[in-house]
Amino acid sequence: MVFRKTDILAIALVVVMAVLVALLFLPGKTPGGQVQIYQDGRLIQTLSLQKDQQVRVGGAYENTVTVRDGKVAVTASDCPGEDCVGCGWIEVAGRSIVCLPNGVEVRVVEATGDVDMVVG
Amino acid sequence: MTKTKKLALGAVLIALALALSYTERFIPLQLVIPLPGIKLGLANIVTLVALYLFGTRQAFAVLVPRCLLGAMFGGGITGLLFSLLGGILALAVMALVRRTGWFSVYGVSVLGAAAHNVGQILAAMGLMQSVYVGAYLPWLLLMAIVTGLLTGGCSAGVLRAMERVIPRPTA
Repeated sequence: MVFRKTDILAIALVVVMAVLVALLFLPGKTPGGQVQIYQDGRLIQTLSLQKDQQVRVGGAYENTVTVRDGKVAVTASDCPGEDCVGCGWIEVAGRSIVCLPNGVEVRVVEATGDVDMVVG
Repeated sequence: MTKTKKLALGAVLIALALALSYTERFIPLQLVIPLPGIKLGLANIVTLVALYLFGTRQAFAVLVPRCLLGAMFGGGITGLLFSLLGGILALAVMALVRRTGWFSVYGVSVLGAAAHNVGQILAAMGLMQSVYVGAYLPWLLLMAIVTGLLTGGCSAGVLRAMERVIPRPTA
């Protein structure tokens, strides 16, 4: 059992897969306007990114979601691992922070509602 | 190989896989690479060795009890969902890829590790009911190459040593 040349193909295949999936999830440059907080797949709260604020999301664990200077982060959590806190601040629409232990997703979306201009 | 020998070796492999997946929790890989859900996948060495030595069915018979017992030892129901879906997908891919004979145990291991991550992300997508979790997948896949080569190397070593003990299977 030694490394064969064809094994490089297996590695290349995984790299190609990674790149394809990355392209699929490439976040745009659109700045976010709102923060949606989901728990177990349900939208539980919508916050404006323009207003500095802090909310706590309960459940199995408690996540502290902080909005500051148009960015959002999970700033504190008592879940094991605290990967959600480790994700840091996000601001671009399409990005999200996930806390799997608490079933929470903090998602930045484009601002809706206020129409700037109607063309046509 | 007699039925009794197969059963005994299967039980030893389950115990080994369980011990490896438990030990793995104390390796703080997340401190080096801060990615959620990242791990070495040491238990996959056992799945891989079982696959090569005894075939797909026996590898499956080692994998499922390991996941169930792992959940009892602290993974919980969520952990079970992740390890089962990831593990079964990894085994399926490894069994198929091995059958083609294109790759050595290294290539099979890398593809298995990648499949494991795909399974985990699918479980996370189902749990969160959101496709956004998929954004982690590229990073996990790239790490799967590293961890897959590592576990592949371990498996190759084990298989080389076992060649003298157990004759090659036909299945």
